[in-house]
Amino acid sequence: MDEWVRQAEVWVGQAERWIRQQPPEQVYVAVAVVAVTVLLLVAVSCLKSSKANTIVLSGLSGSGKTILFYQLRDGSTHQGTVTSMEQNNDTFVLHSELERRGKVKPVHVVDVPGHARLKPKLDEVLPQAAGIVYVVDAQDFLSTMHAAAEYLYDILTKATVVKKRVPVLIFCNKTDKVTAHSKEFIKKQLEKELNKLRESRNAISSADITDEVKLGNPGEAFNFSQCQNKVTVTEGAGLTGNVSAVEEFIREYVKA
Amino acid sequence: MLEELLIFTRGGLILWSSCRALGGAALKGSPIDALIRSCLLEERSADASFSQDTYALKWTFNNDLGLVFVAVYQRMLHLLYVDDLLAAVRKEFSQIYDPKRTFYDDAFNEVFRQLHLEAEARSEEMKKNKQVTGSRPTKVTTKTNRGDTQGSGGGRKKGDSGKDDSDGDSGKEHTLPNGNSKMQENSLKDNSHARSVVVKGKENGDPNDGAFDVNKLQKMRNKGNKKNEVASNVAKNTSKANTKKNLKKNRVWDDTPDDKKKLDFTDPADERGDEVIDQVVVKQGESMMDKDDVVSSDSDEEEEDGEENSGASQKKKGWFSSMFKSIAGNNVLEKSDIQPALKALKDRLMTKNVAEEIAEKLCESVAASLEGKKLGSFTRISSTVQTAMEEALLRILTPRRSIDILRDVHAAKERGKPYVIVFVGVNGVGKSTNLAKVAYWLLQHNLSVSLAACDTFRSGAVEQLRTHARRLQIPIFEKGYEKDPAVVAKEAIQEATRNKSDVVLVDTAGRMQDNEPLMRALSKLINLNSPDLVLFVGEALVGNDAVDQLTKFNQKLADLSAVPTTRLIDGILLTKFDTIDDKVGAALSMVYISGAPVMFVGCGQSYTDLKKLNVKSIVKTLLK
Repeated sequence: MDEWVRQAEVWVGQAERWIRQQPPEQVYVAVAVVAVTVLLLVAVSCLKSSKANTIVLSGLSGSGKTILFYQLRDGSTHQGTVTSMEQNNDTFVLHSELERRGKVKPVHVVDVPGHARLKPKLDEVLPQAAGIVYVVDAQDFLSTMHAAAEYLYDILTKATVVKKRVPVLIFCNKTDKVTAHSKEFIKKQLEKELNKLRESRNAISSADITDEVKLGNPGEAFNFSQCQNKVTVTEGAGLTGNVSAVEEFIREYVKA
Repeated sequence: MLEELLIFTRGGLILWSSCRALGGAALKGSPIDALIRSCLLEERSADASFSQDTYALKWTFNNDLGLVFVAVYQRMLHLLYVDDLLAAVRKEFSQIYDPKRTFYDDAFNEVFRQLHLEAEARSEEMKKNKQVTGSRPTKVTTKTNRGDTQGSGGGRKKGDSGKDDSDGDSGKEHTLPNGNSKMQENSLKDNSHARSVVVKGKENGDPNDGAFDVNKLQKMRNKGNKKNEVASNVAKNTSKANTKKNLKKNRVWDDTPDDKKKLDFTDPADERGDEVIDQVVVKQGESMMDKDDVVSSDSDEEEEDGEENSGASQKKKGWFSSMFKSIAGNNVLEKSDIQPALKALKDRLMTKNVAEEIAEKLCESVAASLEGKKLGSFTRISSTVQTAMEEALLRILTPRRSIDILRDVHAAKERGKPYVIVFVGVNGVGKSTNLAKVAYWLLQHNLSVSLAACDTFRSGAVEQLRTHARRLQIPIFEKGYEKDPAVVAKEAIQEATRNKSDVVLVDTAGRMQDNEPLMRALSKLINLNSPDLVLFVGEALVGNDAVDQLTKFNQKLADLSAVPTTRLIDGILLTKFDTIDDKVGAALSMVYISGAPVMFVGCGQSYTDLKKLNVKSIVKTLLK
């Protein structure tokens, strides 16, 4: 043991002498390089850990997700949108908070395309979600109700969503239109539809598509308060910029 | 006139629109959304054009920047310059594009106006040249030369005004004789494309195929007849001998009931005894629709192994060059780079029994989505193409509509109507068998099912269905043969409504897709009864014919219907899936052609052998 210690001391002495022989600039550079790499690694790991500040915008095609995305980012709808083929994905400070003093933490928002063919894309982003905004077309609600409920059911029964208790905001979009339905009506209809879905899906058993978690309490009519994760229903209009409900939701779950 | 030229990102944000920027009437409806939904997202982006209502649309991509350029014009006008204009717009716009910027009106309006004028002028010239050559086809060569010089004169003038365009123009002039003929070809193409797709399908070499087949068949028949004659002679001889012998043995002249029994070789339990035995409802356990797939994990591992192997072999080929390229990174994918990898992929798909036409289209579409993209460092072209194809396949096979039949059944139940499913398909694919499997599956979910025997064509079909009904203990509605199937189905549905059945399964006669009278009958059946689900039953064994079957079924249903709102095929039932090993291509072919999802997969002989399609495992098998 003593021998080893002595040997080590000898080596340390040799190393010290060797370092003293080197020109000092080189030593400084070496130290700087090591420091920078360590800092970089720390920074990268920090970034990775903060991945859970992602807000996912989901909903059927044509419900107004992309408009909502640009309202949040730029406060403008630009020149309108068409059906998305890929997700919009950006980290930004909310437009409404740009003027606010002090440090505002940017939010990572992902707008997932709603076309049924692109449904698998949603599974890729859900594990990182800190909050899910489910956009519903309040104007054209009745004709899209079945599909909307089914999509919402898929989200609410995802294991990644339920286990982490990711909050869900159901955003009734397009309420600036006269013919739009009220959020109470939409909530009631969605609950009714989800209840039906739950019955038919339970009958099919676990082999089917994506039923990872059972929804609500069996034996009772379903309502959103039975969900393990918090589900709230709000309304607004992406086109006119009335998206304060979504902004509040984001601020609630992504701490500034 | 060009109605609209739209530039947007793949994310869906409109960056620039000619209507808005330069003024113009807004489009009626939303042809661009329709284009994206039913064309670009369906892996048909390699098509030349798309038509919606009165509009025709053409498009091009800048894959590297994720931009899409779409031109909309009236379908009646065959604008020759659209392709040209799109290419020019893409070139100019890509230079000023900045991901942070969303407003380009100030910068791009002038540029576009210029490009538009140039393109129009160029097409005018082409038209002139074409007219000259067209009017006197005998003196084509001299005339094109003359047209050439004219064109060059015009081009020069323009070149002066348009500065940096002179290069392109002069290049064009040199190749004008070629260009002329090309343009004519293009215009011809345009004409054909401008017509609706349905018409195109009809024209596609159909008569030739038919003629060829008929000739062949006749030859075969002649040959066969000769053989048959010989064979039948032999058979006659032997049968005569047999009958003689039989007669000698059994010559009993008076008609006693005992002998009748001897001659009756049928199973004694058939007539009445059968019912007694089968009173007990068959219980063969849970339908495989409700069981988990255990196979998928195995196939995963296998797949990985296979991939490694193929990867190793590819590595040997061009290890150095690919390494160099991958390290250098950032090289833009050209069509020629992708082509070999795509060719290999196409061959692989075709060995998996994907119809050739479809493999071709898919590869073109993948190429269109990759062309111009920057290759990341440390990635091989083949793997990039592979992942792109995988994504495309996944997207195609992911159902567009809900395939949750039980839910639809419950919805129908609430309305107090039976849910009607019609099974259609060509002969011998297993419609009745799989109808029974579906009935069994529905019965397991406590739904009351009734059958309608609308195969009034093939002898024995009603009896076959009756046997299934007896075994499953479900009511069957039948009216014997030689009845109009549409009427039989209607009465069956009425009967089911009275009996409060939840589901009516309608069996129809198998028919070849070219059989006009039978297809007309089918169209009538569907239009008269407006079923909730039209299920196309197709065998997984089918190769190139899958395309023909489905397109023709859909087409005939559309063409022959008297009602304006036509019903097409809603879903696919894939049968004989257990017989094909890894040749699962038929699933892809059928889904691609019809756009309808695969709802059930039949995979065996017993009632339980009905499954759902596992999309991910199919994609893996296809690319293995």
